[in-house]
Amino acid sequence: MTALIISQIVNGLVLGFLYVLIAIGLSIIFGMLGIVNFAHGVLFALGAYFALTLRDNVGPWAILLAPFFVGLVGMLIESTLLRPLYGKEPLLGLFMTFGIALFIEELIRTLWGAAGRPFNPPALLSGFIIWGPILVTKYRLFLLLVTVAILLALWLFLQRTRFGRIIRAGSRDAEMVSLLGINLRRVFTGVFGLGAALAGVAGVLAAPLWSVVPSMAEQSIMPAFVVVTIGGLGSFGGAVVSGLLVGVSVALTIQFWPAASSAVMYALMVVVLLVRPRGLLGESWERFE
Amino acid sequence: MKIRDFISRRTLLKATATASAAYAVEVAAPFVITARAQEAIKLGVLLPKSGPYAVQGENGHNGAQIAVADFGGHVIDRPVQIVWLDEANPQTSQQNMRKLLEEEKVVAVQGGISSGDVLAIMPIAERAKTLLIATGPNATEITGKNCNRYTFRVDLPNKVTVQTVYPSLKEHGKKWYFVAASYAWGIDAYNQMKDVLVKDGGTVLGADQAPLGTTDFSSYILKLRQANPDVIYVGLGGTDLTNFLKQLHEIGMTRQMPLSSPVINDSDLWAAGPDAAFGTFPKLWNFTGAHNTPRSEQFATTYQQKNGQPPEVEAWQDWFGATAILTAIQETKSTDSSKLIAFLEQHKFEGFKDMPIWFREFDHQLIQPTLVAQVKDKLVDKYNYFDIVAEYPKDPTQLDSFYGSKQEVGCSLGPI
Repeated sequence: MTALIISQIVNGLVLGFLYVLIAIGLSIIFGMLGIVNFAHGVLFALGAYFALTLRDNVGPWAILLAPFFVGLVGMLIESTLLRPLYGKEPLLGLFMTFGIALFIEELIRTLWGAAGRPFNPPALLSGFIIWGPILVTKYRLFLLLVTVAILLALWLFLQRTRFGRIIRAGSRDAEMVSLLGINLRRVFTGVFGLGAALAGVAGVLAAPLWSVVPSMAEQSIMPAFVVVTIGGLGSFGGAVVSGLLVGVSVALTIQFWPAASSAVMYALMVVVLLVRPRGLLGESWERFE
Repeated sequence: MKIRDFISRRTLLKATATASAAYAVEVAAPFVITARAQEAIKLGVLLPKSGPYAVQGENGHNGAQIAVADFGGHVIDRPVQIVWLDEANPQTSQQNMRKLLEEEKVVAVQGGISSGDVLAIMPIAERAKTLLIATGPNATEITGKNCNRYTFRVDLPNKVTVQTVYPSLKEHGKKWYFVAASYAWGIDAYNQMKDVLVKDGGTVLGADQAPLGTTDFSSYILKLRQANPDVIYVGLGGTDLTNFLKQLHEIGMTRQMPLSSPVINDSDLWAAGPDAAFGTFPKLWNFTGAHNTPRSEQFATTYQQKNGQPPEVEAWQDWFGATAILTAIQETKSTDSSKLIAFLEQHKFEGFKDMPIWFREFDHQLIQPTLVAQVKDKLVDKYNYFDIVAEYPKDPTQLDSFYGSKQEVGCSLGPI
């Protein structure tokens, strides 16, 4: 029994990294731009669908190209549809992204069809590794390494580079940063594009595990929101901690009470919201208080 | 405030243009007036547009449309119109069922993939005294203890399908593991198969419920792998089954042991792809195979031409459902549900399967032969996935008793 529990905890941690990957783009866009991006799920789906089409034409490069194109779509959305709404009622941005989500999902249905599309992991990554009670498939291990690499790169980018400092400063006090002669419009477009590209990465990497159907958007947006809410809106570290927490909770619930396995993340969210409304690692921000 | 203040000139112009365009159509097109005289017969379709069964929903709707086209778009000299609303969950289904009945004034409703949704709308059909043909649900109680006079069912009850696959599955061993969706259909599937297995001296190594819409089955698969069963029996459908198969493949368990489920949707396997798809399943109909009749083959050809892919079983079910309703309207020259029901309780449908099929009078179950289909060893075609390994019952005279006697079924329909 102990062995099985250990193996479930590890499995949950690995699943947690997938949740982190799905949520991190949402977290960045909210943290930096203050936009609750309901279109995050369809950007995730676009990642999978772009990879599906590119895979047949350019082969393995699809893994890199698909998120890049999703990033471009994100930048286009930000610069045309969201920019006019800055500084207005925040609900407008929420409605706009919700509308975009519905539109892109229909677009996917029209372009690629409603039927699910096969998408397997590359043969190189099939099989699994066993270490004592722990069993991890090679594909999930790959996914974990990619996620950790992305998280590290993002952290370094935001903390240690000039651009990162501008983004962080801009998210706290946009006016002051503009007064210093920095073009924040372009920075915002870039940040939204980055968040979108991260959703695209998650979509590409989840495609071999989950069904590739137009409605895959809804399967990713809920965990993403739950993870971001538990971790603390806009908190980078919070998203990581809560993603792993959700993964482990789901895995352990499946071990002991499988029927409740999709409810457990919402239960966790409710508890966190009651005990600590700003989320586990949420900071107190003048903008949101 | 004057009216001019809030109707801008532009809006006014636009409204005028629309109104005059509409007027022009009325005057220029006399057929509009004749069409009004013969009011359309509306057929309500309640199938998922979202969620795990969205693909089946779309394919079912495609099938129903072909039935209407088969009738030339008209029945008793009135145009037929399909109104498709979403079957997302029991609550939405109830709301949309009421909308179909009260606002759209449909003459009958067909559809329903999820047994939970169908069980929720059956009482509404009964109260509204309107014919409901449940084309896609499998929970035994729909034509069992929860049956009613207004509901007919095309799909197979779990209690029947488990009998068809059990003989070949038990050859591999009697220690089984179950993973089933945690709602009416999945729970019923588990109970029916478990009864057969345990009665035959088999063992349930584990039985896990998975919420409808589960994306990640890896933790279930870990438990399953640990238990090392002879057979995996799942009550999963739609994207749930696709996810499960993909993740079995990820861990290298594809084709390692037999897999079955109470029913199979072709599109779930097509979505999993040739590397991940496997198993032996009860199947109501398949677009290939010797059992197919010329009429059903014709349907498959038309479907392929219209939709660019062959019909999956749900498409056939909704094609048959709509055909049954339209036939009843044509033969009774009426849209009155009580007359349609009286007709359906008596009529034998010929040409759809290799023996006549009919809705049984005492439980409204479609009495039909059914297949056992096995995923081919080598999948080369994008859609041709199955070999038909058996047809039940083998003897046409056994057909009625195959679905259980009145006593076994335990249905009392109630008055019309």
